[in-house]
Amino acid sequence: MTKRTQLALATAVVAALALGASGCSDPKKGANSGPSAANPAAANDGKTLGGTPVKGGTLTVLSNQDFAHLDPARNWVMPAMDFGTRLLYRTLVTFKAEPGKGGSELVPDLATDLGTPSNGGKTWTFTLKEGVKYEDGSPVKAQDIKYNVERSFAPDLTGGPDYAAQYLAGTEGYKGPLDGKHLDSVKTPDDRTIVFELKRPVAEFSQTATLPTFAPVPQSQEKGTQYDARPFSSGPYKIETYDRDKKLVLVRNEHWDQKTDSVRKAYPDKFVVVMGLKGGQVDDRIIAGEGADASAIEYFNMRPESAPKVLPKPEIKARLLAESQGCTVMLHLNNSRAPFNDPKVREAMQYAVDKEAVITAGGGPALNEVATAYLPPALSGGKQADTLKIPASGDPAKAKELLKAAGKEHLKVSLAVSTGDKGKAEAFQQGLARAGIEVVIDTVDPGAYYDVIGDLSTTPDMTYTGWCPDYPSGSTWLPFVFDGRTIKDKGNQGNYAQFRDEATMKRIDEINAMADAKQANQAWIDLDAEIMKKSPSIPILLERKPLLVGPNIAGAYGHPVWTGTVDYGTVGLKDPSKSQG
Amino acid sequence: MTTTASGAAPEAGPEAAPEAAPAGTPAKDVAPGSSPWQLARRELRRRPAVRVSLGVVLLFVLMALAAPWLSALGGWSPDEFDKAAIDPYLGGQPLGSLGGISPEHWLGVEPVTGRDLFARVVQGAQVSLLIAFAATAIVVLAGTAAGIAAGYFGGRTDAVLSRLMDLTMSFPSLIFMIAMLSVAKDVNRIVLMTSVIGLFGWPGVARVVRGQTLSLKHREYVDAARVGGASSWRILTRDILPGVSGPVIAYTTLLIPGMISTEAALSYLGVGVRPPTPSWGQMIAESVSFYETDPMYFVIPSVFLFLAVLAFTLLGDALRDILDPRGGRT
Amino acid sequence: MILYLVRRLLALAGVLLAIAAVTFLIFYVLPTDPAAAACGKTCSAERLADVRQYLGLDKPVWEQFADFLTGIFTGRTLGTGQFAVHCDFPCLGYSYENSLPVWNLLMDRLPVSASLAVGAAVLWLLLGLGAGVTAALRKDTATDKALMVGAVAAASLPVYFTSVMLIYGVIRVAGLLPYPSYQALTDDPLAWASNLLLPWTALALLYAAMYARQSRGSMIEAMAEPYIRTARAKGMPERTVVVKHGLRSGMTPILTIFGIDLGGLLAGAVITESIFGLPGIGRLFYGALVSSDQPVVLGVTLLAAFFIVVANLVVDLLYAVVDPRVRY
Repeated sequence: MTKRTQLALATAVVAALALGASGCSDPKKGANSGPSAANPAAANDGKTLGGTPVKGGTLTVLSNQDFAHLDPARNWVMPAMDFGTRLLYRTLVTFKAEPGKGGSELVPDLATDLGTPSNGGKTWTFTLKEGVKYEDGSPVKAQDIKYNVERSFAPDLTGGPDYAAQYLAGTEGYKGPLDGKHLDSVKTPDDRTIVFELKRPVAEFSQTATLPTFAPVPQSQEKGTQYDARPFSSGPYKIETYDRDKKLVLVRNEHWDQKTDSVRKAYPDKFVVVMGLKGGQVDDRIIAGEGADASAIEYFNMRPESAPKVLPKPEIKARLLAESQGCTVMLHLNNSRAPFNDPKVREAMQYAVDKEAVITAGGGPALNEVATAYLPPALSGGKQADTLKIPASGDPAKAKELLKAAGKEHLKVSLAVSTGDKGKAEAFQQGLARAGIEVVIDTVDPGAYYDVIGDLSTTPDMTYTGWCPDYPSGSTWLPFVFDGRTIKDKGNQGNYAQFRDEATMKRIDEINAMADAKQANQAWIDLDAEIMKKSPSIPILLERKPLLVGPNIAGAYGHPVWTGTVDYGTVGLKDPSKSQG
Repeated sequence: MTTTASGAAPEAGPEAAPEAAPAGTPAKDVAPGSSPWQLARRELRRRPAVRVSLGVVLLFVLMALAAPWLSALGGWSPDEFDKAAIDPYLGGQPLGSLGGISPEHWLGVEPVTGRDLFARVVQGAQVSLLIAFAATAIVVLAGTAAGIAAGYFGGRTDAVLSRLMDLTMSFPSLIFMIAMLSVAKDVNRIVLMTSVIGLFGWPGVARVVRGQTLSLKHREYVDAARVGGASSWRILTRDILPGVSGPVIAYTTLLIPGMISTEAALSYLGVGVRPPTPSWGQMIAESVSFYETDPMYFVIPSVFLFLAVLAFTLLGDALRDILDPRGGRT
Repeated sequence: MILYLVRRLLALAGVLLAIAAVTFLIFYVLPTDPAAAACGKTCSAERLADVRQYLGLDKPVWEQFADFLTGIFTGRTLGTGQFAVHCDFPCLGYSYENSLPVWNLLMDRLPVSASLAVGAAVLWLLLGLGAGVTAALRKDTATDKALMVGAVAAASLPVYFTSVMLIYGVIRVAGLLPYPSYQALTDDPLAWASNLLLPWTALALLYAAMYARQSRGSMIEAMAEPYIRTARAKGMPERTVVVKHGLRSGMTPILTIFGIDLGGLLAGAVITESIFGLPGIGRLFYGALVSSDQPVVLGVTLLAAFFIVVANLVVDLLYAVVDPRVRY
């Protein structure tokens, strides 16, 4: 299956995690998995809060920061992707607006279908719907999508996904359309047809076409890096004002036609995003739900310290979305050098880590579960395997024993985490200290975290990141995290453990070649257990995405693809007359 | 040139260091023939507030010195988690009232980790005071050296040093300290913080000392020593240095609360010591978001910080009144 | 006087140049790579090189510094082709994060920081000098002692503690004010003031305490001067003595610290702005640090230094007005 797509989506999710916007959601599990049954935060799993919204009013989004990028060629961080593609621009293909499993289903958006492959999957053709218009009433053309795909190559337009460069044929040395050069591998025979010529067969190109890179940008609107501040709308809303880091106001795009759009409902008349607020204050305001805050939702996670103000109060807890996710967050050990090139030391780490403390640091068992295997529950029949049966708080005595056997009783290792994960890092630190392992913590700014840990010359002994599947198949997971052939000197991702194991690589190829999906699925689970024995990384936890919504909010649910953030395309208000501003 | 002969203390970022300027109080009637130390002792006996401050200062210094033993006495090391003391389902709230204060945890526990607050506050005292004292030492040594050199040698030395003082004082110090601390990664944070804080503090001392030196330079006994063939070094150390020491000591004491506040502000902004090392500022920063759900967690380190700054300020005020009746102004 | 001004202005330019050079060195020599930060998550070596070239980071440091300096006076163009970015005079660099020239960002934030600093300054001058002068005139009375105890206590409270307590008391418990969100003075003066009331109070308490202590001291000193005695002896009303003579010379040292404090706060209220969510320069700076947006960090540092240097100059000039003994 196409690796790059998953990689693209999954990395975005992982990045969102690092920014403190944790996780992607796993609707399949819901209340049927063990611990969540009694979990006070799991009550709203797979539910839509507030019923069906009424058209009109102003919906406020309270955020602790500005959007990373809204320019569709640069938008690649999770909540911003949800926001951009649901409200401001449409893509060739998109995901259904549904909570739970339905949300990961693909539906055509700008295109009439999910795209037609030919030439053995190396050529993909999309036909555009008729009557789709920009905010000025001009029609959306195939050339505009080609143009934005080309923009993703421009070195000035940083931050976006680079998979167009990975997939498209004949892109060597191409540096974007800003200096007037165009790509031959994207063809637009007429205004409504776009053809992508790929280097190699890509079966999931429809998935790829959901990313903001496949949104239209007309060349006449090009403003280089300034486009970020005023993307030209093809979606249901357009930007009225955008004060960086302060406030964004969206009003209806009168030229958007509901008839051409099967996904977006566009209930509110206006979206107001207030930025730069303190995280705790955002929670407090939505909990109080007074005035305009009653019609507000939060952009980033509820802070763990707000839990005592929410969980014991049923009327407030009813306004908490906490979709669990399909990602497994792991502590990666650097297998390429001492001390973690020794499998015995790595095994000792499995026992030394105190997952319980890490979970508490992450907001407690209400918002996290202990991970006992690599594959997230959705990929292993709803429940993770537990082959080692280590208690959640670890077994330091056993760890000490193993370390003694390995001749490494006193270890000093480095751990890099992104700033928001500092508390978890301290939980690792004290857990490992019980087994005589001293940890030196380095906190790295979220923006630079993936540069630091992806560069083999700067990566520390341990790193802490998650990995999310794009859709329920082990092929979107294990090969990205544990195939030694994916390791790169710079920009290394997925295999942060730098795990190179012949047997694993051989088995990955064998399973990828299996025709029977069921058999393959079991084989992935077995391989998971095999890799656990070699302990390249330690699975730590499975996260949820806690988001509070105001009492006047309706139609809110955590979308499974967009990391369990609220689907901005369908959220609205119960009573528009109560919203102000 | 300028008349900016202020007694303003190092501008460690006005926002960061609340206590900056020594407030001038009138000259006391000084009994002739008493040494400064005798005066100091007499003054201490006279003012109860000063006695209390001195007590608090000594207590904190002792607490910092004895931190490991004190936390052993409490039964918890500062980095040790106590899962039994918190409720994981409520975002790690401490169990029990008042932030989990109990015979087990004398000052309660940190939410989420359950680390013992007493052990952490005590170790935090060590870190906060160490950085404050070390930075003060740097400032005083560098400032005194530069001030004496500028005042005594005059001419080009004075011009260069005075320009350097003006330049350093023009630096937006808080902003600079934050920036320097956040870009430097692989170094000992305590050493780094000390030197960065020290870097911007010395001109204040230097100005005071320079002024004092200028006035001492032409006293008869200095002239006599010079005529008698004493070396510059000898004059500086034997005649000038003792003369400036009074104001310097007073000034130093008044520097300390500013240094403590600066350390706390930097740690508060997240560019301070590395986890799990606590400092008061770092503890307050972590606890701010809990001020409503676990007020004791926020109040305890804040009270310690407040008391330390207050006590050093009162003590400094008193010492200045005694040792440098003109409030450091020249 | 003119000669003095020219000399001071030259010195001012020199100081700013030195600060720019030091800042530049710190941020461009240290091992952080702004190109990698701007490039994004999957950045091929080739693309990284392109980004580096685009940002002008492939040149030697001194050349980058020269470009930066010329940019201030002549403006610069970043990138090539039709959509290259023009950064007009005075170009303090270009923020990759915000896709805007640093100058525009600074000017956009300055009203917020200025509102905060100036409003707080008015408040603390009133409170601080009022308390200080009152205490000085009633030296050694109960009023004096109470005021000074209050002042030393308030001066020992960190601004983040006061701020949090104000938010808790005034907003959360009493519900007297809405959560602060900055409104421009020109849009709605009332909302402007009510949103800034708490941040002003938090800052003003701290500074007022400092100023009370300082002004009490200098006031007592001033009132002990011989000319005050002379004035009194001439039968001048006490009120005139205090206002015309005492205050005038007593306030001179206050002027110095006031200049430095106000100058420093204009671009340095990092803590207050971040606690109250005010989109001012301090928060811009902090955000830029977190995202390794070095041009913004450099720009804020220079602006802050500029304010401090100018404040010093203004204070020195004002001395001539306040203190008749000073002549240039």
